[in-house]
Amino acid sequence: MVHLAHLLMKHYHGGHVAIRLALGGCANRPFFRIVAAYNKRARDSKYLEQVGCYDPLPNSHNEKLVGLNIERIKHWIGCGAHVTKPVEKLLGLSGFFPLHPMTITNAERLRKRRALKAITASEEETPGD
Amino acid sequence: MPLPRPGPEPRIRCRVRGQVHGGAQPEVGGAAMLPALSRCRALLGRCRPLPVPARGRKSRHDPPAKSKAGRLKVPPPVDPAELLVVSERYRQYRLVLQALRVEFKQEVLRKQHEERLDRESGEEVMEEHRKLMAWNNAENERLRKKREERLRREEEELQDRKLQGALNHARLMEDFLKQKEREVLQLQEEARNFITPENLDERIEECLDNPRNYNFAIDKEGRIVKQSMLS
Repeated sequence: MVHLAHLLMKHYHGGHVAIRLALGGCANRPFFRIVAAYNKRARDSKYLEQVGCYDPLPNSHNEKLVGLNIERIKHWIGCGAHVTKPVEKLLGLSGFFPLHPMTITNAERLRKRRALKAITASEEETPGD
Repeated sequence: MPLPRPGPEPRIRCRVRGQVHGGAQPEVGGAAMLPALSRCRALLGRCRPLPVPARGRKSRHDPPAKSKAGRLKVPPPVDPAELLVVSERYRQYRLVLQALRVEFKQEVLRKQHEERLDRESGEEVMEEHRKLMAWNNAENERLRKKREERLRREEEELQDRKLQGALNHARLMEDFLKQKEREVLQLQEEARNFITPENLDERIEECLDNPRNYNFAIDKEGRIVKQSMLS
């Protein structure tokens, strides 16, 4: 027997919920809301629930502010929501998730480049003297 | 126009609502620093200008320019040691994430279960259940009485009908017997005047002695005349 009732009652087939960043704000002033929305919806369109926010521009104390509603994030992940890479990185930096591998890798690369730059700068200085 | 100086790296500050699971401490932030750095490097001329792929003026169907005729697209260089390290980090990361997801799912299920229990085992719910059961029992009693009344009435009617049927049958049998008796008596009556082999001679003598004339005449007014010229 073919069970069609559940499929007919569903109004969203073959998709999943995603926790992702929705862009808002004004010209030259981005602002992200961390949002639980259906996967196929447009980035800024109707979402299921707002679950945090992220300001990419640093404030007067040179901090980038992030707000997270951990209870609701846990609930959505428990209901099977996917999490996009930027949100994973933010959650890793906040301590809720483990640190993302690319965060660590990029930091290492930066350190190496800075060390190289320092070495080359010091090498250029010493022959100059 | 003054060059954009690379300032101190902006820290990412998280305002978190809710309980946080233990994770690794953030070491270095500043993902927004990289494009600024690349721009500075290009302007200072230390390294080659890094090509930033962007589909600006041309769509994908426009032919590429003549200056790009001998261009060889080379994938970015990969350091195998770093790749190994990064793969291992990804494996561990995904392991931890899977465990977290499973735990959150269990928590959601547990919360739903507890909510369902609370909903189904409250005081008001028990009270309502008892009331409904009482009402149901009362309904059953009433219907049972009605049904028994109906069955009793039907039983009585059946008995009456059976009785009537028996009476009718008896009456019919009686009538039949009486009819038969009458017929028998009548036959007996008629048998007295039958001609038997013993009576034969006497009856013949009697008939020959008494000639009977059955002729008669009748006119339109209905007057009957039995006497005729022959007798």
